[in-house]
Amino acid sequence: MFSKALFKQTAKANWIKWFAVTVATCVMLAIVIIVLGNLGINNIRDSLKQVFTQANQEAYLKDNAVDLYTLYVTTAETNDQMDTFAGMGYTMIENLLTNYDNEVANYELENGVAPDESVKKQIANNIASAFVETNGNMIKMFAPNTDLDELKVLLINVLLAHDKNVDLSGKELLMEGYYLTVYDNAYAIAIEEGKTDDEALNEANQARIHAGEIVEELATVGKQTDYSDYALIYANKSMYNQVYEMQISAGASEDEAKQNAVVVKVLSNTAINTYTLWLTEGKTPEDAKIEATKSISDQIEDEKVVEALQELGNMDVYGLIIGSIFYRIAGLLLPMVFVIMVANGLLAGQVDSGSMAYVLSTPTKRRAVTTTQMAYLLYALFSMFLLVTVVSVVSVWIVGGNNFAINYSEILLFNLGAFITMFAFAGFCFMCSAIFNRTKYSLSIGGGITIFMLVCTILGLFGSDVVPSAMRIEAMNFFNYLSLITFFDTTSILAGTLSYLWKFGILAGIGIVTFIIGVFCFDKKDLPL
Amino acid sequence: MEEVIKVEHLTKDYGSGRGVFDINFNVHKGEVFGFVGTNGSGKTTIIRHIMGFLKARQGSVKVLNMDAWHNSCEIKQYVEYIPGEIAFPDLDNGITFLKNYAEMLNLKSMDKANALIKKLQLDPSANLKRMSKGMKQKTAIVASFMADKDILILDEPSTGLDPLMRETFLDLILEEKKNGKTILMSSQMFDELEITCDRVALIFNGKIVDIADINALKNSDVKYYKIEFNNSLDYERFKKLKYDVVRIQEQYNQVTIKISDEEVPNLLKKLKAYDLKFISEVKYNLEKYFRDILSKYREEKNV
Repeated sequence: MFSKALFKQTAKANWIKWFAVTVATCVMLAIVIIVLGNLGINNIRDSLKQVFTQANQEAYLKDNAVDLYTLYVTTAETNDQMDTFAGMGYTMIENLLTNYDNEVANYELENGVAPDESVKKQIANNIASAFVETNGNMIKMFAPNTDLDELKVLLINVLLAHDKNVDLSGKELLMEGYYLTVYDNAYAIAIEEGKTDDEALNEANQARIHAGEIVEELATVGKQTDYSDYALIYANKSMYNQVYEMQISAGASEDEAKQNAVVVKVLSNTAINTYTLWLTEGKTPEDAKIEATKSISDQIEDEKVVEALQELGNMDVYGLIIGSIFYRIAGLLLPMVFVIMVANGLLAGQVDSGSMAYVLSTPTKRRAVTTTQMAYLLYALFSMFLLVTVVSVVSVWIVGGNNFAINYSEILLFNLGAFITMFAFAGFCFMCSAIFNRTKYSLSIGGGITIFMLVCTILGLFGSDVVPSAMRIEAMNFFNYLSLITFFDTTSILAGTLSYLWKFGILAGIGIVTFIIGVFCFDKKDLPL
Repeated sequence: MEEVIKVEHLTKDYGSGRGVFDINFNVHKGEVFGFVGTNGSGKTTIIRHIMGFLKARQGSVKVLNMDAWHNSCEIKQYVEYIPGEIAFPDLDNGITFLKNYAEMLNLKSMDKANALIKKLQLDPSANLKRMSKGMKQKTAIVASFMADKDILILDEPSTGLDPLMRETFLDLILEEKKNGKTILMSSQMFDELEITCDRVALIFNGKIVDIADINALKNSDVKYYKIEFNNSLDYERFKKLKYDVVRIQEQYNQVTIKISDEEVPNLLKKLKAYDLKFISEVKYNLEKYFRDILSKYREEKNV
């Protein structure tokens, strides 16, 4: 089933083609990898990416600054209210506290166990609701600006604060209740913004600590009619300190930390000024905050443009050029030309010229002819890609090994994929060569369809996901459905998913089936020799 | 007599009258069998069936009692071939080709090849692609004769050879015949078939019209005489005699008659009464024989 002499004859006839194609492909690949590795082609991508991360940071910092500002103002106002409230209505509060203690004791007597957190909340809620209902009108008379709902929440938290620490009394207890309110609000907002539970708890804690700090500060500031100037100073200072400490602990030098902290302070100042300006223009606090915390990406109105820019920032230039352009197009072209020419010459070309007579007039079975020629084609392709693989691995090693954008295992899979793709095309061209007696048919069908598929992949590239949407033409993706090369899924290899594996299987299957069909057709057909 | 090649009712219809139809013939051991026929008459098609390159639609082709299609590989151990149109594998020169071919044939000794090269005055180191038609033919002859197989199938083996070389080649065939080889060859040249063959088949439009026995033909008692008269009167007078006139050339006062050996003295006696310019015997050969056959065949079939 194998003729050594024929193999030698075929190898002698084709080695120049093999040599030229292999050297050219290897040189092309080495240049692509080494030049790309040294060019820093990702600079533009990186700076774009930075713009967007900075924009996100900017929005976050501005948001924090405005939050601190509003926290300061509300805390100062509450603190003043509590002063009045503590003098005026503390007896009422004391009654509430006794009520609460009694209810808790009753519950324990009735149920035999101490009430848990939710039951305590329920008791506090009942007492606070009853109080607001009976005294609401009176409170409104004395302090018409009081929000009764807020008051109720505050009272509930005061009761709960009392429950935790029975020694507190007077204003201290009231402020403790306020802190609990701040904590709850911050937690609720963070959850609403889509943060995780841990992050939300952390933010709530931070807000509570800030509220405590603000109360301490207020002691030195004294009672004011307008706190906005103090709030601005506090927010800026606080932002500055936070960033400075963060930078120092991250290992930055003092100068660097100061510089960055100043930048953040400026940002904070701008955001708060914008916020207050919008407030005086009559916007609601929510809308004013949105305006004040806008970043670059928020300022670009068209969402598609933002997406396109972001995608451009995230684009993998190396993956595109080495994976999608070299291994799926440029690097396949010469091996394809080799396969088309050689596969045709292995059978159809020799039948057409008549030189096959000199093989078949010896005691060599047709089956032995086809298997020997097939063996040569596979041997030539395999050795070609073995060399290409060695060159690619060495090139990656030269430009930094696993530190390069494409690591060793990815480059090995690219080579394997290119080989399997060529295996499928080799099978197809071999089948055409076995079926047709005339070079013109074998070449135009085998070679024609192969080149057609390569061209489809080139056109399909402009519609595929590897091209950023700014340059992508969706309709061109249609061409990908016309090409076998689509089964060589470099995107999957780079993404680390496994879908490339079954696609390799399909390519290998096509190769095996077409080779077998070729062998059987050649066994059965008439030969004009 | 052992039949080396046996073709029975072989038919391969390519449509519109092309192909070969109901071909029957045998080639005996040690015999040289010839094919002659016009271009496209089907000689090569029959040979391709014997070589196992084509599969018979109907009928059977057997070589050494083996089916030419199914056992084509086994048959090749005994058969050598010169294709009608010679194309060599994509190799550099004649030496590489012959060595490679010898390897495929499992041939160890190149002695016979070297002797053949000498005899045919071939320079095998020439580039295969740049070889002239004659050189290619010589290389093909060397390739097919060097393995010293029992059966030789030669499709127009002498095309492209110069007249001297053709003579050498015919000697070679006769030598192989003497060595007991069975040879099937096709040709356009009647004379070379006449020299080498024992029997020759005439193929016309895909059918065997006749198989001529060369020995019988050579020893035939029929003679042809060409007679030219000095004046037209004698010429007219002679025409009235009841001889079998094959050809008339009136402008020369010339006739060609067909006559059996016994009648020759009688003819000569009669001719004494005529004023002759000359009389000469025309050799009766294969070409004449087949011309006769073909014209009769055409009349019968109206083609």
